Amino acid sequence: MAYQRVCASDAATVEAGAALAALLRPGDVVLLTGPLGAGKTTFVKGVARALGVVERVTSPTFTMVRQHAAHNDQGIATLHHADVYRVDSIAEVRDLDLGELVEEDAVALVEWGELAAAVFGREVLTLDFVLDEGDEETRRIVVGGAIDAARASALARWSD
Amino acid sequence: MATGVALAIETSCDDTAAAVVDATWRVRSSVIESSIDQHREFGGVVPELAGRAHLTTVGPVVRRALDDAGLDPRAPAIDVVAVTAGPGLVGSLLIGLSAAKAYSLAWDVPFVGVNHLEGHLFAPLLERPDLQWPIVTLLVSGGHSMIVVQRGPGEHVVVGETIDDAAGEAYDKVARWLGLAYPGGPEIDRLARQGTGGALKLPVSMTGDDFDLSFSGLKTAVVRATEKHPEVALADVAASFQDAVAEQLLRKLRRVLEAYGEVRGVALAGGVAANSALRRGVEALADEFAIPSLLPSLAMCTDNAAMIGAAGLHRFAHDGPSDLSLSARPNWSLSEVS
Repeated sequence: MAYQRVCASDAATVEAGAALAALLRPGDVVLLTGPLGAGKTTFVKGVARALGVVERVTSPTFTMVRQHAAHNDQGIATLHHADVYRVDSIAEVRDLDLGELVEEDAVALVEWGELAAAVFGREVLTLDFVLDEGDEETRRIVVGGAIDAARASALARWSD
Repeated sequence: MATGVALAIETSCDDTAAAVVDATWRVRSSVIESSIDQHREFGGVVPELAGRAHLTTVGPVVRRALDDAGLDPRAPAIDVVAVTAGPGLVGSLLIGLSAAKAYSLAWDVPFVGVNHLEGHLFAPLLERPDLQWPIVTLLVSGGHSMIVVQRGPGEHVVVGETIDDAAGEAYDKVARWLGLAYPGGPEIDRLARQGTGGALKLPVSMTGDDFDLSFSGLKTAVVRATEKHPEVALADVAASFQDAVAEQLLRKLRRVLEAYGEVRGVALAGGVAANSALRRGVEALADEFAIPSLLPSLAMCTDNAAMIGAAGLHRFAHDGPSDLSLSARPNWSLSEVS
């Protein structure tokens, strides 16, 4: 079955991120895909808030990766927020060594993750942001990738 | 007061730069190798991730900066090696930092790590050493957008910054969306001059009372509006977007000027400071407040090592040398420097 959630506003997108954060476990890599302005960074703001990141989360496009200290009872001490928008080839994604980022007590959220998907050896969770035709605000977030049984039931609750 | 002569190295993004600057803010030499120049001079295409490119160019660039300044490249008469330690791409930063440490050890002179953003704040000084403090600086680039109140060299408070995308990033992303070349700023600026602003209805963002900025919503609005109105000419789209960016930046800048009395200058810094609409707007704003506008030359807006040298001389005089264990700080915020 497909897990998905419709967000009718930026605020709802932040909430969807906050709700999804509860499903994350140390070591997770989440790839976010979707067109420009689909709400990827907005979503990450919600994840960060729920993981207890105090500082402001802004777009990581320029430095490609930002690290945020997280404070939560999920054992996640660091949120890596990466963005491979400026990267043009698989070779450059390999150079970034995104896989190395994710240690025992960290999670990584990678925007524009289409290219990165080919590089990650491990199982990853994918979030595809789909814009709704005609409605300016509405976006649909479709979850795919490595979904085990424990996560499946939580995702069913997260979905609409 | 800073004294002495600095050799400065800047490799935070995709340009390799070196400069020699002295404590009277005189730039004795300034060399910048953009990827285009590298392609020509060194015969190699430079990848977006510029670490390896910096590795091959940093030596020749430093040598040329020393030569241009009339210094002996084997034992230059300098007092400090200043180098950008962050923020920036970690792989790129490490090349400059390692080179600076090596020169420091080889020549037996101290080295000092510099915050790239603080470097931008020193750029106006290099062209206007007689400027009067305090000044308000709008620092806008591909990676950063902030409004800073400076009470003197190195005395700065970030009063507002972007809550999502940087202004230059919005330019790049909108340009890519419109099918224009990278970097997007100059392309959109060029097109905008042939178009009519307001042709595309875009929302006014960040109308609140604070000094913070936001460009993510505007970027999304351009995407949606161009999808809905494909008939609007590209030049008009560019002009509408450019106007919306400038309007937000200038409105917030005006708010800061109103809130902080006794400001004696308004400066632009960072790559987006090359934007024609923004330069015109800041000049008009300065006229209105009857203060000088400090608009750096294009070479001083974009990344360069002279500004790193100026900031480095100040930091060295103020805080002393950095330890050789200093590492790259890719996310080093300006607020952590004072």
